Amino acid sequence: MNESYKVISSSILFWFSQKKWFVYSVLISIFLLNLSTPVGLTVPAYHSLIILLLVFMLVTFEPIPFPAIALLTLVLQVVLGVAPPDVVASSFMNDAVLFVMGSLMFAIAIVHQGLDIRLAKLIIKIFGKSKRMFLAGLMTISAILSSFLGEHTVIAIMLPIGLSVIKNIDTQQADGKNAVLLTLFSIAYGTIIGSIGTPSGGARNVIMINYLQEFSNVSIDYWKWMKHAYPILMIQLVVAYFVLQFTFPSSLNNIKMRGFKKNVGKTDVKKNINHLFSCLIIIGIVSSWFAFNDIYGLGIIALAGALTFMIFGMISWEEINKNTNWGVILLFAATISLGFQINETGASSWLVLKFNELLATLPSNSMNVSWSIMAVLSGLTANFFTSSATVSLIGPMAIELHPTDISFALSSAIASGFSFLTVISSPTAMIIYSTGLVSTKMFFRVGTLMFSISIIILYLMSQFYWVKL
Amino acid sequence: MKILIAIGGREFSKPTLDLGMKIANSFKCSTTIAYVGKKISQFSEKDVSVVHQNLDDRELYRPGIRTLEWAYDFLISKKYIEEKDSNKFDDYLLVDEENSRMKVLLKGQQSDKIDLIMRTGEIIEQLKDEVETNKHDITIIGGGGNKGIHQKLVQFIDSSVFVVKNYSVNKKYKILLPVNDSMGSDMAIETAINFAKSYKLNVEIVSVPEGKKSIEEVEKILKKTKEKFSKNRIKTTTKLIDGSAVDSIVNYAKDDSIVILGVSPKNPIMKYFFGSKPLSIAQKCNCPVLITK
Repeated sequence: MNESYKVISSSILFWFSQKKWFVYSVLISIFLLNLSTPVGLTVPAYHSLIILLLVFMLVTFEPIPFPAIALLTLVLQVVLGVAPPDVVASSFMNDAVLFVMGSLMFAIAIVHQGLDIRLAKLIIKIFGKSKRMFLAGLMTISAILSSFLGEHTVIAIMLPIGLSVIKNIDTQQADGKNAVLLTLFSIAYGTIIGSIGTPSGGARNVIMINYLQEFSNVSIDYWKWMKHAYPILMIQLVVAYFVLQFTFPSSLNNIKMRGFKKNVGKTDVKKNINHLFSCLIIIGIVSSWFAFNDIYGLGIIALAGALTFMIFGMISWEEINKNTNWGVILLFAATISLGFQINETGASSWLVLKFNELLATLPSNSMNVSWSIMAVLSGLTANFFTSSATVSLIGPMAIELHPTDISFALSSAIASGFSFLTVISSPTAMIIYSTGLVSTKMFFRVGTLMFSISIIILYLMSQFYWVKL
Repeated sequence: MKILIAIGGREFSKPTLDLGMKIANSFKCSTTIAYVGKKISQFSEKDVSVVHQNLDDRELYRPGIRTLEWAYDFLISKKYIEEKDSNKFDDYLLVDEENSRMKVLLKGQQSDKIDLIMRTGEIIEQLKDEVETNKHDITIIGGGGNKGIHQKLVQFIDSSVFVVKNYSVNKKYKILLPVNDSMGSDMAIETAINFAKSYKLNVEIVSVPEGKKSIEEVEKILKKTKEKFSKNRIKTTTKLIDGSAVDSIVNYAKDDSIVILGVSPKNPIMKYFFGSKPLSIAQKCNCPVLITK
């Protein structure tokens, strides 16, 4: 056989084996484009739903880079006549996108300051009386910080602390293995649970606030979100503590807090000043989110945080540029833009109509059923698709279900934060998984219980607590 | 000659590392020991990278380093590397190279014969890139895990692939060499001669009459192959076996066989969708199999 033929066909096959989901996604989209438009939908609305399906498949299987998916989303919106170029361009950038950009940069600047050593000192001082208290402290501090600063910042700060105390544990024995898993899961669950607490806890929260403002003219400020979400966070923390203690029973004898204390002693005056300034900037930014988010928006304030670190020379632009995930920013911007078009073209109303028609066929049709389906669907989709992208794409539908009742939109955003099932669902889960100490099966096994309990807590709170607010 | 040994879990990779280093030592070739870390979702890749940098700064082992440390200790225990105070693993330096490749440098390391590297991403893509960039001749990988990996490795990697299955250090092995008149078979014969000479192994040459080939023609191929070994003073036995090529070779191979096969001359597209005989043999045999290219 001709050698060059072999080389070429082998290269094409390798490309196909790596990109097969891209080929399948495109073929499915072409097939759907050739079908007649469903009754009740306009052509642009139908095309926007096809793009939505395409994006779901491409983001789930990642056959091409995220920036490529983002650009494809924008190009297709115009080429398939969903919206004119100017409209697509104007929906591409808004406060939610600025928040994603600002919070990623702000996170890098904070992590760069090496605050973990000082934080470890503080945790040992407050919770160091027993090892079980120490783990509870790790979880609580992770949750509180994550609720204000976001998951990626907190996991980057807390993981070195966790790994320091378990670094010499023999994982061949059940007791040691459970101690390692208990430590890692305490940090992971604390961080994940915390991210629902305030709007700045996760991009999905800001995206939903933005959608509510745009589509229903409902305004939710920082404090109002906290009043709804923080009690859920606190109950979840207590539940998670007991779930983990039950799942990973361990004497914790192997955890070495003393060895860690030696490491945390190495600080100098310059670092102390740096840390003091960092804390002041963080407090300033969080206070501004509370006080000025109505005027300046969460995104601009997050950007101001990163800007302040750069102006004071506490981090270089090169460092920020190197570690910022620009692909994710582009992707969020493109999916938010698509979310707007899904709403504008009437595609979300059509989907909700079909959803309600489906509900009407069920024996018991009530608000509770539609709430449950929506919350579980948001949570599950987020676990297999990542939370922020889920909210940016199905958020318009959640609002459309009950445009005047914010409990549907809030529940959808909060349930999307229950990233307990898969390791791809959040940066925290992926980082814990990347240590090689936690398997996907283990994550799913513990997560199933936590996810189910969290949905129940959310339901009870929305029924009995939110109505009183 | 350059050898690439891919390792995963610690105890699980012991036979792969042991056999790989024996081959590398007897052929006196440079060796790369590679650990391929888990693929990170694009959503989290920068976050994971920041955390790993943070772990390095705190002198905490980043994921994968412990496996390489285990491999390094194994090489010292088997005296593939001489242990000195100056080349302790604790003093490692991780050098970020291109395409998700990281090289472990030890302060006292003087020899360039053994490299320890770490890669992150999809295993086939990473090993293919490693082989293409560093021109390895043989890729050695464990026989466990996903069978599809072995098929893709044989299909896409530009080196011979040695699948180390059910290997035991204490067992006395013999080479089982299935032959026919293809070009791939000629390469397998060459490789088998080199292996037999280096390890002083006995060789069993087998052939299966298939299709339009007469028994006389197959016997002629066996005789011709035997002569090549005789010229190199290697003891061989020959056998003509009946049945389908895959099943009869799989049944004939024993636990103490190392099967050496040539790559299939079939069209790559047909191979991808329908597999090939060498690949089926490699998947079904319960012993080490080397597919030469």
